[in-house]
Amino acid sequence: MNPRNKFWWFAGVSMGITALIVAILFIVLWRQLSPNEKTLLFSLFKNHFAYIFIALFLMLTGFVFAMDAMFHNYIIPVSKLAEEVAVIHSVNPAHRIRMDGSRDIARLIRILNEGADNVESLRRNVSHKIQAAKSEAEEEKNLLASFMSELPEAVLICNADGKILFYNKRAREFLEAGGGPSQTDGADGRYIGLGRSVFSVVDEHLILHALDEIAEKLERREAGVAAYFVLVGKEGRLLRVEAVPILNKEDPRRVDGFILILYDITNRIETERQVDFLLQTLVRRFRSSLASIRSAIEAIIEYPRMEERQLDNFQEIIHQETMVLGDALDKTAEEYDRYVRTHWPQVHMRVGDLFTTIQRKAKEKLGVALKVNETDAPCWVKIDSYAMMLAVLYVLKRLKETTGGKKFECRFDRKERFVNVDLVWKGEPIAIETLRKWETDPMALKSEGLGLSLREVMERHDAQLWCPSCKEDRKRSALRLFLPLTQEPDAEISGAAGVVPEGRPEFYDFDLFNQPGQTPKLENQPLESLTYTVFDTETTGLNPKGGDEIISIGAVRIVNGRLLTGEIFDQLVDPRRSLPYESVKVHGIQPEMLKGKPTIDKVLPMFNGFTEETVLVGHNAAFDMRMLQMKERQTGVRFINPVLDTLLLSAVVHPAQNDHSLEAIARRLGIRIKGRHTALGDAMSTGEVFLKLIPLLEKAGIRTLKAARQASEKTYYARLKY
Amino acid sequence: MSRKVLIVDDEPSIVVPLQFLMEQNGYEVKTAATGEEGIETLSTFRPDVVLLDIMLPGMDGFEACQRIREIPEGQDARIIFLTAMGREMDIAKGMSLEPDDYITKPFSNADVAARVRKLFSD
Repeated sequence: MNPRNKFWWFAGVSMGITALIVAILFIVLWRQLSPNEKTLLFSLFKNHFAYIFIALFLMLTGFVFAMDAMFHNYIIPVSKLAEEVAVIHSVNPAHRIRMDGSRDIARLIRILNEGADNVESLRRNVSHKIQAAKSEAEEEKNLLASFMSELPEAVLICNADGKILFYNKRAREFLEAGGGPSQTDGADGRYIGLGRSVFSVVDEHLILHALDEIAEKLERREAGVAAYFVLVGKEGRLLRVEAVPILNKEDPRRVDGFILILYDITNRIETERQVDFLLQTLVRRFRSSLASIRSAIEAIIEYPRMEERQLDNFQEIIHQETMVLGDALDKTAEEYDRYVRTHWPQVHMRVGDLFTTIQRKAKEKLGVALKVNETDAPCWVKIDSYAMMLAVLYVLKRLKETTGGKKFECRFDRKERFVNVDLVWKGEPIAIETLRKWETDPMALKSEGLGLSLREVMERHDAQLWCPSCKEDRKRSALRLFLPLTQEPDAEISGAAGVVPEGRPEFYDFDLFNQPGQTPKLENQPLESLTYTVFDTETTGLNPKGGDEIISIGAVRIVNGRLLTGEIFDQLVDPRRSLPYESVKVHGIQPEMLKGKPTIDKVLPMFNGFTEETVLVGHNAAFDMRMLQMKERQTGVRFINPVLDTLLLSAVVHPAQNDHSLEAIARRLGIRIKGRHTALGDAMSTGEVFLKLIPLLEKAGIRTLKAARQASEKTYYARLKY
Repeated sequence: MSRKVLIVDDEPSIVVPLQFLMEQNGYEVKTAATGEEGIETLSTFRPDVVLLDIMLPGMDGFEACQRIREIPEGQDARIIFLTAMGREMDIAKGMSLEPDDYITKPFSNADVAARVRKLFSD
């Protein structure tokens, strides 16, 4: 109960009891008196009623003043003090008590604040030391997370129940409808997220079959226990999945979880199919043409006296068919080259950039000074840059050994279909037979040696290395590298390749290994172990029943006590009605921003998918829930998730405070609010507030979802209706 | 009465030498460039042997073979597939339609002539 109300209850009850005692004493006394004494007393009371009344009134007034002074100077401050001290000790050590009260209370506040200063500085020192100790491990973790997030394969790590403990960016791209950093585009509600079930994106039967296979292999004590299957991912992509078990440390035959590694084999299969088709077509063409040629030749040989017209016919057939064969060969070679070249892991690169890198490496590794003369027009090539760099460094090394020179010049000469790259030096030219030997010797450049010869690298790139004669300057010699040119790649594609995530992506949470089973009784679960969707809506107004509509939904997930800023829902909604100016002033969403956005009947099913198997959390959630409920009939989407409200929870833990707005709670709990009045910004702030409220609720003995809901229901704010 | 041979193939470069070969062996020869044309010719020409290519435009040789077997005029005709489809699986597929022979391109003239002759002697 609010302390103010509590006090007035106490004052009223004690005054009532006092009045009752006085009345009983008076009745007992009255009965003891003789009739004369009663008459005397009555007349005394009657004659001096005014004095007696004034005396009683003054006594009562004095009592009320004394109580009020005590109330404001001691009782309320003490009550608030308890809450404020709890905040300092539990969630916001930087919080300091500032309030009015008696001199004693002021002294107590001063002492408490000093104590808080000391504790905070102590805690800061300790946390600084802990941070320093943790930083190294954290760096390794970051490295691992960044590495995993940039892997070309998709990786999903799950516990035995199929809950996702880790996923990388590629997993979303391969499996999740929409993909990308925001999950808003997940049109069919298939989401990947920490704590979510992997079975929503990969068919349960496939995984169970793979796990059975793994169990059998473990039983047979086979060396490789991975299982493989193929599944169809987003946009019909063919994915080859390798399932690897995570074995229990104590019992290596027990599976604690599994890792799914997904390879996109769509392109490979397609290339193989095309090459196969190419080969089949060529064989048939050859068979047909050879049949004609052979038949014609055999006829000529067998019937040497055939008519001249017939002979001409046969000769024409032979000629035509040999031409057809030649064309078929050329076409097949060209097509094959195209398929095979796209199969190599090659990237678009400017020749100038490649040789700038080589220039630096040549200096570092070989002590060779390579002067690179830039070209005017950029020459784009498609290469395996590492292999090509090693090949050129290998050539420079051999040149250095053979010519004894340490200075080389690099000149580019762009032709129509290829670029000449000349490595020029002062001195004798290289003999062709020497070059042949270099080409076939294995390239070995310290530890970076590639298991390929120079010729293999050249062939792989359809490039050639040659020794031209330097007619203009007989004192100089050169080696010429012919590199086939390619078109400048799309800006979008080349840009996308270089995108590096800003911070460590929160794609993993290995604590989920300790999560309870898949179908627990939510109500009795501890608050910190539940998975939450913290959400907020922006609307056209504050009257759900009066036709106001949702124009934006923002949400973020909390899993294992962590706000997952990478797992968000952020969607504008076309309300199919006008936007009042007053509402625009609050949320800043202009009507033109909503044009072309999906309507609520498209958005709510997506949002429902996002919130699956989570507890909903909102600030003043009753309003947002009302907005969602108003759309139940239209969209057929019903939100049956349990709901917690930070406004009510704040009133539960801080009943003495009057202000439970999001700003006030955030200030109290030491949270800096960002992006207020955008649905996602408010959802994020609410999420942070909620995480700080959980330990305060625990201190108040509220540990489960059920207890939190029951306590919320008892607060004054819970009676507000929309 | 001379024996009749129908050649169904869309490539003139093979039809010309084949026709010459068959005529030199004393057979009466007609040619058709598609499966449909082959079936049409069959009813009037009534060949003893059909040299049938598989990869034809429109109706392919497999289908043409089935149709020939279905119509009364085709009941007595012997069918030889003469095709560039030489993979084991292609041959198995062709043989499942029970032709009288299956010859893969390229072939020798002597071989084709011998196989046709063998069919006539059976």
